[in-house]
Amino acid sequence: MELTLNEKKLLVALGPVGSADAADLADLMETRREAVVQYANLAGERGLVDVEKRVSRRYTPTEEGQAYIGKGLPERQVLESFGETIPMRDLQSHPLAKIAIGWMRKKNWIAIKDGVVQKTGTTAPGPDEVAFARASESGSVEDGVGVADLIKRGLVQEEETVAYTVSITSFGRQLLAGGLDLQEEVGTLTRDQILSGAWKNLPLRRYDVTKLPKRAYPGKVHPYQRIIDEMRRILFDMGFEEMAGGIVQSSFWNFDALFQPQDHPAREMQDTFFLGERWPLPKGFERVRDMHEHGGETSSTGWGGAWSAAKAEQCVLRTHTTSLSIQHLAEHPKPPVKAFCIGRVYRREAIDPTHLAEFEQLEGIVMDEDVNFRHLLGFLKEFYGKMGFEKVRFRPGYFPYTEPSVEPEVYVEGLGWVELGGSGIFRQEVTAPFGIDYPVLAWGLGISRVAMLRLGLRDLRQLYKSDVEWVRETPTYGGRR
Amino acid sequence: MAIITLPYRYLERLAGTDRQTLIDRIPMIGADIERIEEDHVDVEFFPNRPDLYSPEGVARAMRGFLGIEEGLPAYTVRPSGITFTIDPGLAGIRPFLGSAVIRNVSFDEEAIESLMSLQEALHWAVGRGRGKVAIGVHDLDAVTPPFRYIASPRDRSFVPLDFEEEMTMEEILAGHPKGRDYAHLVENFQRFPLIVDARDRVLSFPPIINGELTRVTTETKNILLDCTGTDRKAVMIAVNIICTALAEAGATIETVTVEGQEMPTLAPAERTVSVAECSRLLGLSLTPEEMAQHLRRMRFGAEPDGDSRVRVLVPCYRADILHDWDIFEDVAIAHGVENFDAVLPATDTVAQEHPITAIAGAVRSVMTGLGYLEAIPFTLTNERVLYTNMQREPAPGTLRVLHPISEEQTVVRTDLLPLLMELLQANKHRELPQRLFAVGDVVVDCVTYQKVAGVSIHPAADFSEAYAAADVLCRELSLSYTVAESVDPAFLDGRRGDIIVDGKIAGVFGEIHPTVLNAFDLEHPVAALALDLTAVPGYPVPPGTP
Repeated sequence: MELTLNEKKLLVALGPVGSADAADLADLMETRREAVVQYANLAGERGLVDVEKRVSRRYTPTEEGQAYIGKGLPERQVLESFGETIPMRDLQSHPLAKIAIGWMRKKNWIAIKDGVVQKTGTTAPGPDEVAFARASESGSVEDGVGVADLIKRGLVQEEETVAYTVSITSFGRQLLAGGLDLQEEVGTLTRDQILSGAWKNLPLRRYDVTKLPKRAYPGKVHPYQRIIDEMRRILFDMGFEEMAGGIVQSSFWNFDALFQPQDHPAREMQDTFFLGERWPLPKGFERVRDMHEHGGETSSTGWGGAWSAAKAEQCVLRTHTTSLSIQHLAEHPKPPVKAFCIGRVYRREAIDPTHLAEFEQLEGIVMDEDVNFRHLLGFLKEFYGKMGFEKVRFRPGYFPYTEPSVEPEVYVEGLGWVELGGSGIFRQEVTAPFGIDYPVLAWGLGISRVAMLRLGLRDLRQLYKSDVEWVRETPTYGGRR
Repeated sequence: MAIITLPYRYLERLAGTDRQTLIDRIPMIGADIERIEEDHVDVEFFPNRPDLYSPEGVARAMRGFLGIEEGLPAYTVRPSGITFTIDPGLAGIRPFLGSAVIRNVSFDEEAIESLMSLQEALHWAVGRGRGKVAIGVHDLDAVTPPFRYIASPRDRSFVPLDFEEEMTMEEILAGHPKGRDYAHLVENFQRFPLIVDARDRVLSFPPIINGELTRVTTETKNILLDCTGTDRKAVMIAVNIICTALAEAGATIETVTVEGQEMPTLAPAERTVSVAECSRLLGLSLTPEEMAQHLRRMRFGAEPDGDSRVRVLVPCYRADILHDWDIFEDVAIAHGVENFDAVLPATDTVAQEHPITAIAGAVRSVMTGLGYLEAIPFTLTNERVLYTNMQREPAPGTLRVLHPISEEQTVVRTDLLPLLMELLQANKHRELPQRLFAVGDVVVDCVTYQKVAGVSIHPAADFSEAYAAADVLCRELSLSYTVAESVDPAFLDGRRGDIIVDGKIAGVFGEIHPTVLNAFDLEHPVAALALDLTAVPGYPVPPGTP
């Protein structure tokens, strides 16, 4: 059996005495008591020594207690300060009267009648006084009668001492008898030892591979960001251009340009975060106005009624990234366009485990001369397939700015069919005012839902107010679900 | 959301098929099944299809979709001889009135409840919370025509529904539950809308509450319908949806003459649409007859009109048909969304990463290389975290949301560092050292741009660590910078530096001030850094604006 140097030293020190207190061994081994306890415990696991742990409690006077050492407890001091009787008024002038009178009465040492204090005659010291006297003499007292009262009064405090007695076992003696090489073991090799070749003759310490190392934690990209990056990668693979843009949008870009009527419930303050700020309407806003009022030059009737420019200028925290999509299309009205965006969107919702006021949305748009509804379904199947959702199905859906609209559902083991996002072809009322002449396929999904499924989370807030421990313990490469 | 209760037996009788077929197929016309119960199913229908907010409307659509009865539903109307006048004083208050008489209804409790829930769903979807349209149904036999829709003094009194005593209209707004709910719709007007009969008895105080006088019960045989509102089109849609639903249930509809105009006609609207445009949009190759067949299954009247067009009659209850494509969507639904062959188009494009996310990606790589863990904090926060705790003055241009949901989330973040401090606080019980960073959007004056911040907490965290991290981040981002002593009160004097790029402060680093540590309940030193990414070479200008 290979012994560590410390184990060997411990056996050598124990050899002559057989058994010793850890503190004494520390003196012998010229080290600290804590170190000896540590070596001894390790050696104990290997059967070289026995370690006996003894815990003892003693009670030493507190700061208040110290003040009474040699003088006795307050009630004794006060009792002895007068004869058989004393007027209460006089007794109260004693500096310890406040504490003492109560105790004297409690212990039945005195009786008070008509303002005069009279000794009862039964004034023998109780167990608390006996215990306190012992603590006063020797500096401490062991647990016993009377001590509990002193603890309650805050006159003594508990002190725990742990003693370790280390004894060599017969196995230890056997090894000791066989002779031990006390040459220092080498842990980390030095530059000199490596260059000179000295390492060849050194006793290299052997490490125990069954013992786990100290845990190290790498710096890490957030698990949610990794999922976002994976989605970005899929869309890059599919030839999409990435869009980015502002969190704050005018109602014009967030709603009006998407043909959301001005009296739509989503435009009320219950559902959307409005800001006091306003933003001027872009050039050509009249075409959007006309679309709302009478359908512009399309086959649409529009919403009817009067469109308010003032309402369109109000700024909001974007409720979807579609506001960026339409601006991107307005800047790039010629085909083909394939673009996506992953960005934070805002809904005025009370926060709970499955609802947040802000979360990420992914959105993709495809505009080209001959794209149609079947291509929309094709993109959805391809994208979800690459995300690991192999089974995808479609149902009719409704979104204010697409027609036709489709709700994709994916099959998740253990959950069944899960609705994941929405999609459709932009209404002509949306595209026509910006001179976009071809169909725009669009789809979007709340990707925090995907992250929840992937990371097995029950509470969406964990993504944004993350527990450091969770980020540390979530593997960088999770593999496919 | 409009969740409609569909009792199986009633639905089966109206639709002419069994419940399992209905449950299986209803989602495929555009709906989400919410709950399947013993005797009914609860279904959420979309807000653009208020005509599906009753069992009668659903049965009508499903009979077509399942091929039981196709084409335009025919509704006959005959005159009731009843007239209605509208007080010109209502012009600025609630100008439009739609009305109809519905005879031979036979109500049990369930049918009354179903009508009430249709009414409530319409109030939500078409009426925008009763502002745009409010609906009243009355027992016609309790009152005497002709009727008048008037602008009444506010102190007029009558017995409102569910009450026994007369109340003035003002008292109703203050004391009746419906009055309190909807007072905001009328309280600013000098006069209130009121519907009275020939004997000046009150039928209704729209859009608030009906009178008790015309309460609809299981004894009611004939109904007077009133829809009042601020939008003529929406008012008539509500009238059409209710009349056709009750006609489906067996009632007969009669017109009312409102200011000389006879209504409702329940007549379809006509549109002629292109078959080629529809085929192109859906990726199908349809003949005019095929397209017409699909549309008849969706209860349109539809006939080929020459070789390339279809003449479509849109039922009067369809509120959602604004544009030809709305009709094409119904062609897709009739074809079966599940029956389309999904294909990828040949559109060939080249992927392109956005420069801002490219910079953010570089930041992540540097910070994780330094051993920092990424955090993705919320963008909504509050001034206590952002400024008070940091000992900083509020930044000019900080955006406040007008109606915050909680005191914790009142402003949009202008900086990331305070949010990381808050996160350290939340992770106080976790093993040290902790090194966290965040890269993301901040907003000042409506303009969104990006920052990075990093914090390191442990007993030996100090200025040197912060400086080293700031230096390596700048070098790795090819950012040439100088450093000047900072005056940022979030940091300790003599242990803080500003990162200067092109003469402007682009960032800060140093040891967080102990007062700030106390404010975040932290017990160890924090070395921190923050950098504005607009300073990084290659950052696109101008940043995104509304």
